[in-house]
Amino acid sequence: MRYLPHTDSDRQAMLDSMGVKQIMDLFADIPGEFHTKLGSLDLPEALSEAGIVKKFTKAAEKNRHAGNTRCFLGGGTYHHFVPAVVDYVVSRGEFLTAYTPYQPEIAQGTLQALFEYQTMIARLTGMEVSNASMYEAATATAEAALMARRVTRKTRTVIAGSVNPRYRSVTENYLSRLEGDYIEVPMGQHGTDLSQVIVAMDEQTACVIVQYPDFYGSVYDLASLREACDANKCLMVVAFSDVSAFGLIESPGAYGADIAVGSGQALGIPMAFGGPHLGIFTCKQKYVRQMPGRVCGLTTDADGKRGFVLTLSTREQHIRREKATSNICSNQGLMCTAAATYMTLMGDAGLETIANHSAAALDLLVSKLPSGVVAADGVRYNETVLTFASQEKRDAFINEARNNDIFAGIPLETIEKSAEAKHLLVATTEMIEEDDINDYIAAMEVAL
Amino acid sequence: MSDTKYSATSGIQQEERLLFEHAHEAPESISLPGVQGKAPSSLDAFKRKTAANIPGLSEPETVRHFVRLSQWNHGIETGFYPLGSCTMKYNPRVNEQVARLPGLAHVHPDQPEDSVQGILGLLYELQGWLTEISGFTDITLQPAAGAHGELTGLMMIRKCLDARGEQARKKVLVPDSAHGTNPASAALCGMYTVEIKSGADGRIDLDELKKHLDDDVAALMMTNPNTAGTFESDIKEICQLVHDAGGLVYGDGANLNALVGVARPGDMGLDCLHINVHKTFSTPHGGGGPGAGPVAVNDTLKPFLPVPRIEKDGDVFKVITEDEQSIGSVLSTLGQTGVYMRANAYISAFGHNHIHKIAQDAVLNANYVLSRLKDVYHVPFEGLCKHECLLTDEWQNKHGVKTLDIAKRLIDLGFHPMTVYFPLIVHGAMLIEPTETESKETLDSFCDAMLEIAAQCEAGDTQALHDAPVKPIRRRLDETQAARKPVLVWQD
Repeated sequence: MRYLPHTDSDRQAMLDSMGVKQIMDLFADIPGEFHTKLGSLDLPEALSEAGIVKKFTKAAEKNRHAGNTRCFLGGGTYHHFVPAVVDYVVSRGEFLTAYTPYQPEIAQGTLQALFEYQTMIARLTGMEVSNASMYEAATATAEAALMARRVTRKTRTVIAGSVNPRYRSVTENYLSRLEGDYIEVPMGQHGTDLSQVIVAMDEQTACVIVQYPDFYGSVYDLASLREACDANKCLMVVAFSDVSAFGLIESPGAYGADIAVGSGQALGIPMAFGGPHLGIFTCKQKYVRQMPGRVCGLTTDADGKRGFVLTLSTREQHIRREKATSNICSNQGLMCTAAATYMTLMGDAGLETIANHSAAALDLLVSKLPSGVVAADGVRYNETVLTFASQEKRDAFINEARNNDIFAGIPLETIEKSAEAKHLLVATTEMIEEDDINDYIAAMEVAL
Repeated sequence: MSDTKYSATSGIQQEERLLFEHAHEAPESISLPGVQGKAPSSLDAFKRKTAANIPGLSEPETVRHFVRLSQWNHGIETGFYPLGSCTMKYNPRVNEQVARLPGLAHVHPDQPEDSVQGILGLLYELQGWLTEISGFTDITLQPAAGAHGELTGLMMIRKCLDARGEQARKKVLVPDSAHGTNPASAALCGMYTVEIKSGADGRIDLDELKKHLDDDVAALMMTNPNTAGTFESDIKEICQLVHDAGGLVYGDGANLNALVGVARPGDMGLDCLHINVHKTFSTPHGGGGPGAGPVAVNDTLKPFLPVPRIEKDGDVFKVITEDEQSIGSVLSTLGQTGVYMRANAYISAFGHNHIHKIAQDAVLNANYVLSRLKDVYHVPFEGLCKHECLLTDEWQNKHGVKTLDIAKRLIDLGFHPMTVYFPLIVHGAMLIEPTETESKETLDSFCDAMLEIAAQCEAGDTQALHDAPVKPIRRRLDETQAARKPVLVWQD
């Protein structure tokens, strides 16, 4: 077997040196009734390397993908450009095949990249500190709710109905076995009405969670929410699903968010059918000892040289066990390196361009909509809801677009179960060209 | 000249500033595709008032910056990485290649089902294989890592007990040798943990276990082989006792590598098991992640599996998003599918005919290392080990040398240290997991280094141990300073 270096004579030499007759004698402590007959598992025959490539190529060819279609799908995952350099850096074995940096002297590469990631993410989100990642945006949102309970010692969670339904579902799930209320504020108009959220808050509220831009793509002013949070002494949590927005629009930190969480998948990470993505977790410095997850900090070595270590580990499960701020151990470390590389390549100017192109594409698309299709009111970044006269019309368009190699959008009710089946959630990025929009509109005109 | 026996040398190591310290004007912006316009004027009122201050380097500078950083790392491709309970095995390169095929890497999770039959098929196939290898009846791929799997498993156990009208059961028994994630996960589930003291042999003590089995018991969380590297031979009786008391048994699969193809936890009476595919099934650990922590379940817990999940209807793969008794979702999507592509490729390479060789060689290697070191390092628990072996620094303490010194000295000799100070049930633990992808030559070289270190202790020649490491780009780092006044972001 090509991944196993031993020859049979190596094995025999090792057994002989131990005075052991055969390998299976080393398994004598497992009761005989539990021994599986070797070779009896219901698995296929081993494949050669060429066989593996062939098998995966065949499977991959059965899929459509963003490379051979025009992808207008969003809902938390976005088809942004992945520069070759990003994939090269995360393919390097020294980054790819390292464990968590428990021995900092021989993990300074991972650690400095994490420190740079934390710095750039804090700057992009306008927040004071960032951790070294959560799994993805939904679990990051749930962890934010849990953190707010620790900080405020209160147990009521208020969340806007315009937060991505998947983030809400996971957050509710995480909270459902713990004491306290979980309040979802319904949002009926495909946008966020902060006044309704504010009405739902009270002095028992640990945090209020909104999404900005929200699940429907709406951009709105968060100033009134900050005031309401101060009045109720609760934490303001801002979630986001496409961090590229903050290359252009005001950051959660600028609005005074206490915690900002969301997806960093836009930062050079492939969609990969849903993962691995990057969960961003940021907060104010004063709450850092209640923050979940690993974090990298600056220090010096025995010679006084600057270096980096994982720090604040007394918050974590391996020290604090049941009193830890989270149970998270493995995180999305490599995705931090990818995001750091991506942001370095882009800089402020590149990030702003990405955001401009993403927003301009949606604006162009909306400006060309034929009668019979309406985009949601309000200010949008790169995502919006299109409303059709009927489900039949919408689905006819989806099918016509498919015939032209276009994934036109996500039927809203597949994510937001309560939505009427005539809406389409559509997203654009810098990967959408003007021709793609023309073809999109042409398919719409044919179908309607 | 003993140092030339080992691979570590002082080659050229480039210092590299933080990218924020590369002071020059921002380079010309990289050319980007798309609609070459500006955002609509409706967004003007929402524009950032101050730039984010992301520095931006040119492409050649970016590559050099990160390549230099990479060279300060030790990875499994660089050298031996015997971290106990972490299963640092070779990560096959072909797995990286196939996971990057555009038809797998650039697929959106909300594409219509008929456009993703290929990837659903690979995931479904893997579900079957993991279920078969672990000996259970079904599995969820949703958990993103081992600890996430623990949480998911406990959620299912909670729901199962609730369905039985046993809402009051909230006690989770955890051996004192358990991973810290176990009690942390239980707390997240609104349950409380009680630690069971290990017996003199490092295993679960049946009499001690019985003392805690009452009407409050929800579950026992156990790792088998345990974190001392030994197999819980009473596994059948342990599961029986917990079940008789009305509780369920959760299996932490961090140490599954010892059993792959040789024995199946599901056959032993466990109710569920999370699998660390980034350990046992060789997906790269990436300097901290991503991992994946699928949870395999028996018939008792199957009704409570999370959604969404994949089912097969004739020749068509479907994604089920609702199920009456399901615990719901623990992630936005089906799971870390990119990680699972690699796991599928890995198992494909072994097949039924080779899969047991993983556990065989892993256990052979650990016992070989143990046999070479047991006369010079204290072995707290006698007998066979499984895929990892546990030593302590007890005999080196009398020379003023601690586990940390031994670990740091190994760095100067070219090895990544073993897991240190875990498990907590022995003082000065050194947990060594060599894995099956290491050659006898590498194992011998590592054992020689360990013997040499022990000999230096005996000879009182310990300065190099206390000074270590001296060869990496940085020497011992001050963790106290980092934690006292944390600097987590760079201030220009």
